[in-house]
Amino acid sequence: MTDGDYDYLIKLLALGDSGVGKTTFLYRYTDNKFNPKFITTVGIDFREKRVAYTATNPNGTTTGKTFKVHLQLWDTAGQERFRSLTTAFFRDAMGFLLMFDLTSQQSFLNVRNWMSQLQANAYCENPDIVLVGNKADLADQREVQEKQAKELADKYGIPYFETSAATGAEVDKAVITLLDLVMKRMEQCVDKPPAEPANGNGATKLGDAQPNEKKCAC
Amino acid sequence: MIRGCCLKMDLSLLKVLEKERVLEVLRRDKQLRTIEEDRIRRMKHELQDLRRKDVKSLGQQYGERKCACCQRPLGKLWNSGAVCRGCSHRICSMCRVGAIDWKCEVCYAYRVVKLRSGEWFLEEKAKKFPVTTDKYETIGEELLKTYNVQSYVSVVPPTPPPHLDYQNLGRSGDLKNLKPFTTSLENLVVSFTSQMKKISTSQNDVRGHLLKVDNSQRGPYFNYSTQKSLSDTDISKSSKLFKVPSLPNLFKKSKDSDQDSSPTGTEEETSFSSEYSGGVERGSNGSISTDCGLVENITVAGELELALAYNTTTSSLDITVGTCRNLTYRDSKRRKCHPYVKLCVLPDKSVKLKTTVKRNTTDPVYNELLKYDIERHLLFGKRLQASVWHSGTLKRKAFLGDVLIPLDGLMFEDKASQSFNWYPLCLKADSPDGGAV
Ligand SMILES: Nc1nc2c(ncn2[C@@H]2O[C@H](COP(=O)(O)OP(=O)(O)O)[C@@H](O)[C@H]2O)c(=O)[nH]1
Ligand SMILES: [Mg+2]
Ligand SMILES: [Zn+2]
Ligand SMILES: [Zn+2]
Ligand SMILES: [Zn+2]
Repeated sequence: MTDGDYDYLIKLLALGDSGVGKTTFLYRYTDNKFNPKFITTVGIDFREKRVAYTATNPNGTTTGKTFKVHLQLWDTAGQERFRSLTTAFFRDAMGFLLMFDLTSQQSFLNVRNWMSQLQANAYCENPDIVLVGNKADLADQREVQEKQAKELADKYGIPYFETSAATGAEVDKAVITLLDLVMKRMEQCVDKPPAEPANGNGATKLGDAQPNEKKCAC
Repeated sequence: MIRGCCLKMDLSLLKVLEKERVLEVLRRDKQLRTIEEDRIRRMKHELQDLRRKDVKSLGQQYGERKCACCQRPLGKLWNSGAVCRGCSHRICSMCRVGAIDWKCEVCYAYRVVKLRSGEWFLEEKAKKFPVTTDKYETIGEELLKTYNVQSYVSVVPPTPPPHLDYQNLGRSGDLKNLKPFTTSLENLVVSFTSQMKKISTSQNDVRGHLLKVDNSQRGPYFNYSTQKSLSDTDISKSSKLFKVPSLPNLFKKSKDSDQDSSPTGTEEETSFSSEYSGGVERGSNGSISTDCGLVENITVAGELELALAYNTTTSSLDITVGTCRNLTYRDSKRRKCHPYVKLCVLPDKSVKLKTTVKRNTTDPVYNELLKYDIERHLLFGKRLQASVWHSGTLKRKAFLGDVLIPLDGLMFEDKASQSFNWYPLCLKADSPDGGAV
């Protein structure tokens, strides 16, 4: 089904407690369907979707360039017993959908733990993340207030969306926002000055002990 | 006892099913990866065509000023071209992409491929999880390999009958064959991830070991003073950040006299001034253009013989410096030439490898193997800069010419560059840039 006719392969990963709706959310995003059955994800899984991505300038105007992006959306099991397997996959993802269940205070409290798991296992210390409060359609069972979640997202400096995999509300928007962050990050990574010192890791480069060759000062 | 045994069987069966589920996901991932690798290969192929054009340009320069992209001649005063910050080649105004932050067409193409191939991601990831080998690019691939080995073993014995007694089997010595069945998914992953951790902690920073030279070359070249280097880094940083107008004066003092000693007195390259004066002022016909101090009219001649190969066992780029021929004299008065070859992998100029210095010859024979530690996939978009220098009196040095060789070809088996090739020496475009008045 897949062919190589795309411009970018972008790998995103959904994480969060078991039962918050990761699998259902991704299924909604890729197939625009809702499956009310709860089928436990065994370890890891992924879904794919081809999207057209139009790059935007910082001021929000489009650059007019549209690219074909092949999304690989990794789904992970939230259960503890799969933890070592799932966290190992964190490092190969370029962006993250950190999900909790709006009807479960506990799943929201665990967001902090997932954040530290990400910090330890993702490809860098501050990867692109979108916080997703799912099951927004179950308004009467809501346990987490929007303000609460928004505050936490602001604290981490990441976007926040309230979605419903059941109705599809905000699902696309959450994924596209993350994709946009990753695409911008990619450009930054490539365009930053190459001689910049290695981030962290303590160990000094042997090469650092030499003067950099002169850079043009004009 | 029988009940306990059956329970255990169920459990292990479940794990096997889980394992199969995960394996299937990994195989699907592998399929996608195959398509992706194919796509990347095609992209890089297109780049190689660009590269060939670029290599051809090396043969035509010989000190003439031409745009490295289109070969059109460059003037001295107008249409003099400018140095591309990506590749350090001189580029005419027509071969640039972008406005203030322009790059030459070749560099631009490299940038696009770096974005689209996901190379940027591998580089970022390697900063946090340094890889000792580039055997596996993803966890999925590594796991798949691990599992495949395991399941191969597990296929060997016939599937045990449902009421098989494990203890009896154990006594009969066949337990080891059944091990894969009882090895749970978690155990596999735990051992696997702990292994990964071991690798990443023991290899805190791969770049720390980047500068490694064949033992025979070890010696005075690595005696750098940390204190000195810190201040140097600061200077170069401030020059980038603030464009200090008086900055060139900092490097001026050694320019008037040949006999000026290098400030550090130990090694030529620890000093800015020596490099500057060597590159520009001591060139026999050297003159400086007004804009940013580019060398003009220095005759560059001669050729350099190199063989390049990627060594997968040591994860290094192996550069064998063979010989040079027909080098020019920089020290015109005394007609002295003590040449050595310096290697950098651009854009990183912080790591340098050097051959020994050969004395009193314009046709030095080195046959030295220099190893540059780098993961194979990181070669992508990089260029080897091999420059020849005259090691003058009192640690002064003079530039004799250089070559720039794109390394993308070494991502794959590149038979052509593995044997010795002659490369004509060119005029180093970026050497004095910024250091002049
Ligand atoms: N009402 C409602 N139910 C949802 C929503 N998302 C998921 N679910 C249900 O929540 C249960 C767990 O979902 P699942 O995707 O398997 O969670 P996972 O463990 O995070 O992958 C399933 O029964 C889903 O049908 C939602 O947005 N609204
Ligand atoms: Mg699931
Ligand atoms: Zn040109
Ligand atoms: Zn360039
Ligand atoms: Zn300049």
